[in-house]
Amino acid sequence: MKAFRALALNQVRASVRNRTALIFTLGLAVLFMVIFGLLFGGNGISVSFDAVNNDHSAQSDAYLKTLGAIDGVTLHTKTHAAAFADLKDDSVTAVLVVPEGFGAAVARQGPPQQVQIYQSSAASSGAAISDDVVAQVTAAFAGGGSPSVSLAPPQAAQVNQVTAMDYMLPSMIAYIILFSGVNYIAFGLVEMRVGQILRRFRATPVRAGTILSAQVVGGGLIVLLQILVLVLMGVWVFGARNYGSWLLVIPPILLGTAAFVGIGFLITSIAKTTDAARAMAAMVTFPLMFLSGLFFPMTGLPEVVQVIARILPLAWASDALHQVMNNGAGFSAITTDCLVMAAWAVGAIALATWRFRWD
Amino acid sequence: MIAAEPMLAATRLRGEMADIDVTGLVKRYGEITAVNGVSFTVEKGEIFGMLGPNGAGKTTTLEIIEGLRTPDAGQVRVLGTDVLAHPGTVKERIGVQLQATALPEFTKVREAIDLFAALFRRARPTDEVIEEFNLEEKANAYTNNLSGGQMQRLSIALALINDPDLVFLDEPTTGLDPQARLNIWEVVEGVRKRGKTVVLTTHYMEEAERLCDRVAVIDRGRIVALDTPRHLIAEYAPGTTVEFALVPGLDADTLRGLPGVERVVVDGRVSISTRTPESVLHALLDPQAAWATSGSDGGGEAENTIRDLMVRHGTLEDVFLNLTGRSLRE
Repeated sequence: MKAFRALALNQVRASVRNRTALIFTLGLAVLFMVIFGLLFGGNGISVSFDAVNNDHSAQSDAYLKTLGAIDGVTLHTKTHAAAFADLKDDSVTAVLVVPEGFGAAVARQGPPQQVQIYQSSAASSGAAISDDVVAQVTAAFAGGGSPSVSLAPPQAAQVNQVTAMDYMLPSMIAYIILFSGVNYIAFGLVEMRVGQILRRFRATPVRAGTILSAQVVGGGLIVLLQILVLVLMGVWVFGARNYGSWLLVIPPILLGTAAFVGIGFLITSIAKTTDAARAMAAMVTFPLMFLSGLFFPMTGLPEVVQVIARILPLAWASDALHQVMNNGAGFSAITTDCLVMAAWAVGAIALATWRFRWD
Repeated sequence: MIAAEPMLAATRLRGEMADIDVTGLVKRYGEITAVNGVSFTVEKGEIFGMLGPNGAGKTTTLEIIEGLRTPDAGQVRVLGTDVLAHPGTVKERIGVQLQATALPEFTKVREAIDLFAALFRRARPTDEVIEEFNLEEKANAYTNNLSGGQMQRLSIALALINDPDLVFLDEPTTGLDPQARLNIWEVVEGVRKRGKTVVLTTHYMEEAERLCDRVAVIDRGRIVALDTPRHLIAEYAPGTTVEFALVPGLDADTLRGLPGVERVVVDGRVSISTRTPESVLHALLDPQAAWATSGSDGGGEAENTIRDLMVRHGTLEDVFLNLTGRSLRE
């Protein structure tokens, strides 16, 4: 225990002192927030919808009116053909099709119906935000899934107006989990091996498991520290809001960190040199960053890419964080996300421990 | 060539167990046999040196004894314990300095000592170690800002943090300037004074001669001789060595025919062992000698005279040269 504590402390201390690495990860996350904040305006979203109302009931009218009343949302009701023509030339972010029977479903007199969103191929973070807005308004109309609740007409004030900052904060938490998890563990361990530090430790009575777990726990603590700084900056400096529970943000962060620490660890068992580890880490992190819904929704991606992205843990971490922080979702909504990340963490760490090399 | 075993039996004290007992050690890396049947013992309280050129198998042998590598054959007992069976027990009681001093990045001297202290069940107080190795001024400096000599002192300090009975130093002075080397020698002598057994590898003969009670001369994975430096010199480099630059037309066979010549090694320079240096020098410097006149045009100075002549007593360098036909530093 004495050895574990000393090794973990050393890892945390060295990582904090390694300013370049720290600033690179955290600084880039903040930079992304600033860029996206400037692009989409700090005070609200600006998305335009065309709506196709196939229902023409009082409920569907109210639904579209509620959406249109949200700040920054422009909504025009059009015919199917006109709406899709707008989408094709990119003059709207998305087309919303309200199905026939929507009113009956809301009134619980008919089978459940789904509102369909069509987004242009030029997917943007605006589209992701429009997804969230519509999801929330729709959820409000569905009455939260509890049959006993009567359907109150939603008021614009009660709807989460997800700003670009609100959207970017969970994205950037996921980004830090990805980069730090992989980098601190992967580079840290490979450097220790290449620099023969692992050999030096091996000449003492300390056990392999102690060194590895101290490295993982120390690296994990650094990731959490960076997330804490990011969240504080996001909330206080950039005015990002969390519509869910802060407590529920913790499980996806811990499990996501564990999963990526595991993947970083796995890279160390394959990479022979620091350069190889760096290249492999970049190969994992950069595609994941763009394929996992951090900057734009995954729905805009080709199906094959989506399937691949959904196998990897970042999409699940990103989904869970957005569900909680943007949609105010409860634990039931992120259970699958958490289970997938846990499976990744256990699998990757077990495989990496088995394949571990000292030199 | 003399086997190491008979001499060892003579030096071992009766009834006392050796600190290190190595038998028939073999380590192969693919086609290459790095250690090829090495056997020796190291007695309590002695400084035992392993002398040989780079790649002779010194480090591999050391790392097997330290429990860092697994041999392909052979047995190793350290402080009475089988290293291969109980590496943890042994590591608690030995101190190790690896050839390349490797410390975690962004760590200060004091922190490094604290860190290594925490890895052992029992450790000396950090301040005491800092003082003993003259590291007070650098206690709060980052380890990557130390000079070569300071780094080496820290490295030896870390090897002694658990107050070990047995210390391994792998090339403790390689790459150091003469002043820093002298300083490390004093440190090692201090370690011996505290009753520790020291095993060190080196390819500096002065280092082995000054520090070591006994020296194992290692070449190509084998121990080719093992004794005290004085005995090794008396046995393999007795008398005087006459050295000079190679002269065209003068071959080893001609030299062996000269009066008083006992051994001739040609390795860039010519090195002759003799007990009667006067007669050897007389023959070598004879202006009428065949090699002295062969290149000249009759009159004037001879072209092929003996140059860079040096006459000195035998050293461990000569021991190595005479045993292997090669120089220690190639």
